[in-house]
Amino acid sequence: MHPLRHPRNAIFVGLAFTIIGVIYFGVQSIVGWEVDYAGTTLLVLLGVAVAIMSYVLIAGSPND
Amino acid sequence: MTTDSHALTTSEHSPVGGLSHDTGGGISNVVLGMLLFLTSEVMFFAGLFAAYFSVRARAPLWPPLNPETQEAFHLAILPLVGPATVMLILSSFTCQFAVWAIRRGDRVAFVRNIGVTFVIGIIFLVMQAIDYAQLGSEGLTLASGTFGTTYFTLTGFHGAHVFGGVVMLGVVLYRGMAGQFSARHHDAVEATSLYWHFVDVVWILLFSLLYLLPGKTPQG
Repeated sequence: MHPLRHPRNAIFVGLAFTIIGVIYFGVQSIVGWEVDYAGTTLLVLLGVAVAIMSYVLIAGSPND
Repeated sequence: MTTDSHALTTSEHSPVGGLSHDTGGGISNVVLGMLLFLTSEVMFFAGLFAAYFSVRARAPLWPPLNPETQEAFHLAILPLVGPATVMLILSSFTCQFAVWAIRRGDRVAFVRNIGVTFVIGIIFLVMQAIDYAQLGSEGLTLASGTFGTTYFTLTGFHGAHVFGGVVMLGVVLYRGMAGQFSARHHDAVEATSLYWHFVDVVWILLFSLLYLLPGKTPQG
């Protein structure tokens, strides 16, 4: 069985992108660079969009 | 033709009306279309939010000074926006109550709840229009620098989405009163509900961003 079989697990796929966004923000803040707020926002919300897409793909797949 | 008809009605027999991941797999075309649409909508609003954060980060003072009064623009939560926010959140509950009602075949409760949601949506739009008029009289317009532009673009596009949701709710209400939905056939209700919840979540983010996030002074 596929490890992401249950649609609820789609949230973990989205979470990966959101975590990358948080790391992107964190690194800029820690190093002292000018923070790219636009890029950070897009990465974090991309996680939401990817989670919905993953839900569609998983929930739309047949179980067999 | 036969194949297409089958594809369109497959999920109508799902006990959870389109969100059929707990049954034999597959997803309603209507719900699938709405989810894909919402995915694009997330990135649409992400672009607007990104622009807002970018502009805000570069501004020395946020909200900026009103050139006419030399005082910082102030967005008041009371008396309009706060109550409108509470009402919109409540409307998500009534919308979900309507979905649960039609899932168990209770058409009376469904029509009542979807009707309340529809009315609240209209009230929200009216309150937003009054708020816009008040802000305009205070000198905050779309032309009031980046602050006015971003504020009216964000809330305006959200308002347009609420309007779209109200139209969808109106159609669902009309069809519900005509008896076109049942426990087995109500994909349009599920899709409209998803859209309305999305609009609600976007407003909560917008409200937090525009009204609750502390302003920025020249020192920090």
